[in-house]
Amino acid sequence: MVNNKMKFWLKKIKSKAQSITWTAWGIWYIDPPKDVSLDGYRIDNVIQYTDIVITIYFSIVILALIFFIFKYRARPGHTAVYDKGDTKKHVLATVAMGLLVFLSIDVVIEAMSFRDLKEAFWNFPKGENVIKVEVMPQQFAWNFRYPGSDGKFNTEDDVVPVQNQMHVPVNTPILIQIAPFDVIHSFFLPNFRVKIDATPGMVNTMWFQATETGNFEIACAELCGNAHYRMKGYLTVESQEDYEKWLADNAPKEDEGDDWDDWDEEVDEGNREIPEEWAWAWKEVQ
Amino acid sequence: MSEHHEQTFWTKYIFSTDHKVIAKQFLWLGLFFLAFGGFQALLIRWQLAYPDQPLPWWLLGTLFYEGGVITPDHYNALFTMHGTIMIFWAITPMLIGAFGNFVIPLQIGAPDMAFPKLNMISFWTMFLASVVLLASYLLPEGTAAGGWTSYPPLSAPVGGIAGEGQTLWTLALTLAGTSTLMGAVNYIITVVRMRAPGMTYFRMPLSVWGLWLTSILNAIFVPIIAAGLILLLLDRTIGTQFFVAGGLATVEGGDPLLYQHVFWIFGHPEVYILILPAWGIVSDLLSVFSRKPAFGARVTAICMCTIVVLSSIVWGHHMYTTGMSPLLGKAFMFLTLLISIPSSIFFLNWLGTLWRGNLHFDPPMLFAMAVLWVFGLGGLTGLYNATVTSDIYLHDTMFVVGHFHYTMAASVLFGGLAAIYFWFPKMFGKKMNPLLGKLHFWISFIPLNYVFFNMMVLGYAGQHRRLYDPNEYEFLAPINDLNISITFFAMVLGFSQLIFAYNFINSMINGEKAEANPWKANTLEWTLEGPIPHGNFATTPTVYNGPHEYSNPAVKDRDWIAQSEPMPT
Repeated sequence: MVNNKMKFWLKKIKSKAQSITWTAWGIWYIDPPKDVSLDGYRIDNVIQYTDIVITIYFSIVILALIFFIFKYRARPGHTAVYDKGDTKKHVLATVAMGLLVFLSIDVVIEAMSFRDLKEAFWNFPKGENVIKVEVMPQQFAWNFRYPGSDGKFNTEDDVVPVQNQMHVPVNTPILIQIAPFDVIHSFFLPNFRVKIDATPGMVNTMWFQATETGNFEIACAELCGNAHYRMKGYLTVESQEDYEKWLADNAPKEDEGDDWDDWDEEVDEGNREIPEEWAWAWKEVQ
Repeated sequence: MSEHHEQTFWTKYIFSTDHKVIAKQFLWLGLFFLAFGGFQALLIRWQLAYPDQPLPWWLLGTLFYEGGVITPDHYNALFTMHGTIMIFWAITPMLIGAFGNFVIPLQIGAPDMAFPKLNMISFWTMFLASVVLLASYLLPEGTAAGGWTSYPPLSAPVGGIAGEGQTLWTLALTLAGTSTLMGAVNYIITVVRMRAPGMTYFRMPLSVWGLWLTSILNAIFVPIIAAGLILLLLDRTIGTQFFVAGGLATVEGGDPLLYQHVFWIFGHPEVYILILPAWGIVSDLLSVFSRKPAFGARVTAICMCTIVVLSSIVWGHHMYTTGMSPLLGKAFMFLTLLISIPSSIFFLNWLGTLWRGNLHFDPPMLFAMAVLWVFGLGGLTGLYNATVTSDIYLHDTMFVVGHFHYTMAASVLFGGLAAIYFWFPKMFGKKMNPLLGKLHFWISFIPLNYVFFNMMVLGYAGQHRRLYDPNEYEFLAPINDLNISITFFAMVLGFSQLIFAYNFINSMINGEKAEANPWKANTLEWTLEGPIPHGNFATTPTVYNGPHEYSNPAVKDRDWIAQSEPMPT
């Protein structure tokens, strides 16, 4: 009888403990969002390398700390050694360790980072197949603009789809230019590991390339007001054919004077006027 | 200064020019705002874990919010004021205001600060700033809600946040900066001009080094943020547009990016302004409780100076995603990573101090050793943010929040608590209960690590900061449980501070009377008996030794020797 009761409670405690350990070790079961980009792996690699080296260095410090706590704890008969640690030998040893940390961590991640910036993130794609998109965030929505069939912005055939909807073809470099209408926003694609601020008065450039089709979320990463948390867009990655069809569907029609009919009433509430015009034509980057 | 005046209640306790009284005034102010800002953190955590549910009674929900529900506007105001209050109204007054005032003159053997009246004005300017800040809560549209960084144009009148809370915030911060500046000038002059005979720079305790270097940074960089804030104040009040551009600007030439540069030119040194006193205090305390000289104390002091220089040329690492030029980005990354050299030397010296020591685990020592842990994690995770590529992903996520809570909140708070436990006997003449102190340590240390470490995990999973409701995003669904468990531990952390509050107040009233030198420490403040009079030292002490002469074999029968005692030969 007693045994049964004990078993019952043990079981209960065990299941409770299991659920606690699951969340206690968050890092072991929480992964970043799935990477669906050409270059996202580079960022994951830098993070992984840093993970490993800082775990090693932190463990050394903590193990030394724990060892010292046991070995040198105050107890009868134990005294400290008078040692100021300022001899030439000591100073050289500490400085050498500082340099070792710098060489083994910083220089490596710096080299990785510079290489990735040069080869990927700051190496903007050129050529015919690059899809150019202009992004103009405003409180609290994302506006997108495609150049249309003539490949030029600020012309009659520019495509301005429904707000918060961005479509891109898979396996094609996408070059975006971004400038906000009102306050600072930040265009964040968690699944692509990239982010770029949109600051009033300047046009920023960023590129990415999708390797898988699907629907992904666009988040605003810079505080932009009370509905900042709902400033969410959708990025649809689809095949070239689907993308072209979508672009054609969204092309401006003769009778339509206003592209803003689908404005989400709820989000619109309390908002300022919707900008009439896009402020900038495509800014050529070197 | 040193002669005794007839003192009334007002000149003795309220408008006092005695640095020890001003220190206590700053301490009370800091502790009040620490509780206030900490409570706001709990409200933020509740919202992140249970976005749709009203606050429970024990978080006093209905008292502050209609129906106990936090709206997005409230939420933005909460984290804005949490950040502002913790940095400028809790840590700054506690570490720099209170311990800077209390420790500097006593440890260098000076009768008071160089400018006692300026010192008094500094506190009362801070008090005025606090009143202005709290007054912003009385406005019908509430207080500021543009984040503690308050980037314009969001914080400008065109930014869409209703009310004048932001104006009062800007004004309060300018006043707080003025107060800090008055303190900084005072500390610098005091250290340079008023050291006792024999107190050379390298005989100064490292606490004084930390506070002195902090004051130098403050004196250089606070005017810069003050200039930026005044421009923002003009934008808000008389309709200039220094920081407005784009579709909302009515005149040409404004630049929001300018504010970010001005803010971070100050903002990055500010991180070191907060941490330097803690580093100094920790270096000294490790030495006291290891009964052993601080390992490589000179090198530690020189490393602090190196960091002071480096800290002023790395602000761009807060702005990698603003589209800065690649050359600048790389330069800022390189300079930022250089900081890891002096930082790792710190760690070696701290470990070197413990090595072959005789460790006494009193509460100040526990908190000082915890700084090794939390600053170790905080410093090392800075590498992700210093690296341009990983920062592209992690910038503005909870990862950054976890990282800077480790460095600024955990390290500085533990450094500050170590200082409170250490100097309490000298400040109030009473002993604190060591058992409650140890309990307070463990019940703070464990939940604190759970909370801040897992904040970084949240950021790695992609949760961006300042997010009212993580459930809005599908990719954040897997971390819902983690948000809830973090909140649980945050509540434990928050409410366990009541142990400290009880211990602090109870010891002050009912505590056992403390002896003059309870920790057997060498520095000059412990040579003074009983309540220290206005003017401190009856005769100016002469300094013969460094501050860390513990277990010196030349001294017989005891393991310490006061700095003002000639070394036996």
